[in-house]
Amino acid sequence: MSKLFPVTVTVNGKVYERQVEPRLLLSDFLRHDLGLLGTHVGCEHGICGACTILFDGEAVRSCLIFAVQANGHEINTVESLGTPENLHPLQQSFTDKHALQCGFCTPGFLMTLVPFLEENPKPTEDEIREAIDGNICRCTGYEKIVEAVQDAAEKMTQKK
Amino acid sequence: MKVEGEHTFKAPREVVYEMFNDPDALGKAVPGMQKMIKIDESHYEAVLGIRVGPVSANFSGNLTLTDEVPPESVTLIIEGKGGAGFVKGVGYVKFEDLGNETTLLKYTGEANIGGTLASVGQRMIDSVAKSMFKTVFEKLDKILEERWQKS
Amino acid sequence: MTGKYFGKPVKRLEDKFLLTGNAKFIDDIQLPGMLHAAFLRSDYAHAKIIKIDYSEALKRPGVVAVYTAEDFGDFWKPGPLQVPPPTAIPGSKFNARTLVPIAKDKIRFSGEPLAVVIAESRYIAEDAFDDIIVDVEPLPAVVDLEKAWEDTSVLVHDDLGTNLAALVTQESGSYEEAKKQADVVVSKRMLIEHVAAAAMENRGFVVNWDERNQELTVWAGTQSPLTIRGSISRALGLAESQVHVITPYIGGGFGPKVMSSQADDVLLPWISKQLKRPIKWIEDRRENFLATTSERDQVHHCEIALKKDGTILGFKDVFYHNTGAYDSYGMTVPLNTQTHTVSNYRVPNFYTQIRMVFTNQMVVTPVRGAGRSEGIHAMERMIDFAAHELGMDPVELRLKNLLKPEEFPLKTGIIGQDFVEGVLDSGDYLGNMKMCLDMVEYDKFRKEIQPKARKEGKRLGIGVVAFTEGTAVGPYEGVKLTVSTNGKVTLATGYSSQGQGHFTVFAQIVADALNVKVEDVKVITGDTLHFAWGAGTFASRGATLVGTATHLASQKVRAKIFATASKALGVPEDQVDLCEGSVCVIGKPESSIPLGTLASMANPMRGVVEPGVEPGLEATAYYGPPHGATGSGACAVILDIDPDTCKPTIERFVLVHDCGTVINPLLLEGQLQGGVSMGIGNAFYEKMVYDENGQMVTASFMDYLMPLASDMPKKIEMGHLHTPSPLNPLGIKGVGEAGALPPPPAFAQAFEDAFYDKKLELLESNLSPSVIFSYLKKAEGE
Repeated sequence: MSKLFPVTVTVNGKVYERQVEPRLLLSDFLRHDLGLLGTHVGCEHGICGACTILFDGEAVRSCLIFAVQANGHEINTVESLGTPENLHPLQQSFTDKHALQCGFCTPGFLMTLVPFLEENPKPTEDEIREAIDGNICRCTGYEKIVEAVQDAAEKMTQKK
Repeated sequence: MKVEGEHTFKAPREVVYEMFNDPDALGKAVPGMQKMIKIDESHYEAVLGIRVGPVSANFSGNLTLTDEVPPESVTLIIEGKGGAGFVKGVGYVKFEDLGNETTLLKYTGEANIGGTLASVGQRMIDSVAKSMFKTVFEKLDKILEERWQKS
Repeated sequence: MTGKYFGKPVKRLEDKFLLTGNAKFIDDIQLPGMLHAAFLRSDYAHAKIIKIDYSEALKRPGVVAVYTAEDFGDFWKPGPLQVPPPTAIPGSKFNARTLVPIAKDKIRFSGEPLAVVIAESRYIAEDAFDDIIVDVEPLPAVVDLEKAWEDTSVLVHDDLGTNLAALVTQESGSYEEAKKQADVVVSKRMLIEHVAAAAMENRGFVVNWDERNQELTVWAGTQSPLTIRGSISRALGLAESQVHVITPYIGGGFGPKVMSSQADDVLLPWISKQLKRPIKWIEDRRENFLATTSERDQVHHCEIALKKDGTILGFKDVFYHNTGAYDSYGMTVPLNTQTHTVSNYRVPNFYTQIRMVFTNQMVVTPVRGAGRSEGIHAMERMIDFAAHELGMDPVELRLKNLLKPEEFPLKTGIIGQDFVEGVLDSGDYLGNMKMCLDMVEYDKFRKEIQPKARKEGKRLGIGVVAFTEGTAVGPYEGVKLTVSTNGKVTLATGYSSQGQGHFTVFAQIVADALNVKVEDVKVITGDTLHFAWGAGTFASRGATLVGTATHLASQKVRAKIFATASKALGVPEDQVDLCEGSVCVIGKPESSIPLGTLASMANPMRGVVEPGVEPGLEATAYYGPPHGATGSGACAVILDIDPDTCKPTIERFVLVHDCGTVINPLLLEGQLQGGVSMGIGNAFYEKMVYDENGQMVTASFMDYLMPLASDMPKKIEMGHLHTPSPLNPLGIKGVGEAGALPPPPAFAQAFEDAFYDKKLELLESNLSPSVIFSYLKKAEGE
């Protein structure tokens, strides 16, 4: 086994200190070392987007990053958005509009959309579709995902 | 995958042909070559590190020279295996004397690729091969310059 | 059936868990002491195995064990036939060569497992691959279907002496007679190309052998937990009750997860028993492409015979079907092709022949559409070619030949995947088509929009097709419905879920029948400990079979409720009513008992129970239909094609669909939209390509493209008809695969229409811009 490196990373506001192999992927670290199972691995080559998390606030693919690269950084996963009893407005819109079927790609979509909606609180449909062009969904055909985002955008700007 | 091309060397045919029989020269010229050992006049063993897009791995294999007609032509048979798959190919190389101490090298060949290299790297194989050949010839030009032109 | 929930767009109960990362998928299962498996897979598509030397691998720290075929001894054997052979069809020939768990002596497809490595982590297991020396003698690969049929020089199965996997001929009427009467006969050869299901979640398997209790627990990303349980019990010589299979949440099925892959579901339990440790295996994306099943890949030689007024007299289809290196899934896919070729139309003479061939590729089993797509594609295209020949509008030709409602039920004379003669039960095919034409404004398009576009030099084309979807085939499914003492209701079924909304849809039926809140109905799927009978989630049968069984069980539980309540309340049964979670006396609302209390009362701890009375408020019910119910529809698409890049923009997409009675219209839309995205994928983006050496060259998402959000039409305009199925009390038909069926032929027609002056004849199903470009170049070259 190769040498282990110490890693200190803040995930969903909590600080974790671990010793990891340099080749350990961030997706595997989050899922299996930290037990945060909401982030999913679909392709391991950076295309499907299911593993999308926030790295210092930006949406990135955790399957293309090593855990050691996250040392000293802030990560947010889908678990930071809401709970079954208390859904984030975007999550609520997703269920209201039936924007998920198997749900495997959903956390990736949510983490892509959260920073997108922060920067674009009133997006057009074309802008929404382009924003999620880095996330593949095999079940829904995307139409209801777009509706959910439009619904969430409206509700979230109303709240402000 | 089919390959085809040509390159002009600034050296007489005999010198170019000899260089192709020198494992030291070939070893230096092929990018990623980690080891090249001459077993006998027509057999070489090599370990080559290849990178095709997201796939990078070491291939260990054999190079066999047959149908040798020095200094006119030679057929190269390549067989390599590694963690990322296998390569099996044949190349037909012709050396033409253009006079004035220049040689035209013409090559055609075919390679069969399998395993991970084929399944995720197929799209890039052609351009990687072209780029590899380009580098090989550039390096060989330099080696020729050092060895022959300066002597 | 009407009620508070049935037929309404009820929001899904399972969403809040999926949205928040609280739903357990297969890779989320962690067990103490768990080891990880990885499969070393063949690079070669066809080779003789000389030696596999893994001695170095065993020396690597962290590697616990390595197994090859020899290490399994007598346990190694070819798997079972998952679907019986077509003996019900007279004259059929079928050579069974079933999938082996791991290659022994011979490799038959690139990706076939050669060795299983068990290690402390998946990373270490894969490291060990480099330690394993595989010595093989490569053989030429069998990849061309038509060539393989006759050529015996290279055999996938040497002992067979042929690459013929099956020959099945069916005919209704006589095509040759019909041809004699015809004014026009059109023949074409068409390719329908290979695609993958490519669910976002790959397959996975976790198994734990409990030595003390002699029990095996399995978590599997499978669409058929009961089949897996049967397969494992049989292989290990265990009683079914010793094997507990659980399906966690599954990230998409679409077909291939029905198949027993043998490698994980047979070998890993044996290994777990040997090592007395839990074992986990999670497939990666490349493995999914290479070694999980896929579908389509047929070559059709079609002939259509018509009178000059457009009446179809007969249709002949001789097609080659690729089954891959083994045929464990029998004839399901090509039989679906046979039953869905002429199913929309009045074709009194139909000859269809399956030439199923072994090739050096992974096994072919259903992928959403499951053989129906190919039959529909072949017919719809031949109608287009016939229309060109006759100088008729393709829509006119369809309208002339579509079956009318009064012609149902119609016995087709063709035996289907359920081994009974197909009967088209009900439908309004002309109604579907007319609604579709209205919605897409066909006349306006032809008379105004298209001529104007053509004047502007635009390549605007329309494609209109019809389709049927045979659904809801047997053998059966079942449920067990229980009212708990806390007043909540549980519905358990063997039918597992991969995102279709089962947790909600079946709860709706129960909630209405028992007058409880839909949130108070918990649906348990795919856990063999809770319900141990059923066939699996495939062929769009959930809503119909499980829905009907749920309805039947609900009626039984209602009867028990009324009988128990009548005694408890001291009134005759017809005075009892169900009132929002309680039973009450009609007209006396204060006289009520909560259902939970009633459930306790129905299970007395002392006293006398009359014979024939079962304890509790619980009932089990099964439903098996006499034959499948046929859904149908029509689809229209308008494409604007860039004449330079040949890239299409979907201007309009109309889908009209009839699946009988609808349980949840919101979920129905989701199924249709998802199906359409796969159909559009098949039409343009998706193509699995094998080279002449049997190497798959599209084994990643870099090469296997699927539609993204910007690729889909902004709105799939939907129209619905409802002709209830006469086959079940609720009138339900299935719908899961419908959306995937029409796009490929509709797009082909639209392309040909857009380039009408080039007189293109598109003879393949995947129409990427480079394919269209090459057809255009060929047309200009002539």
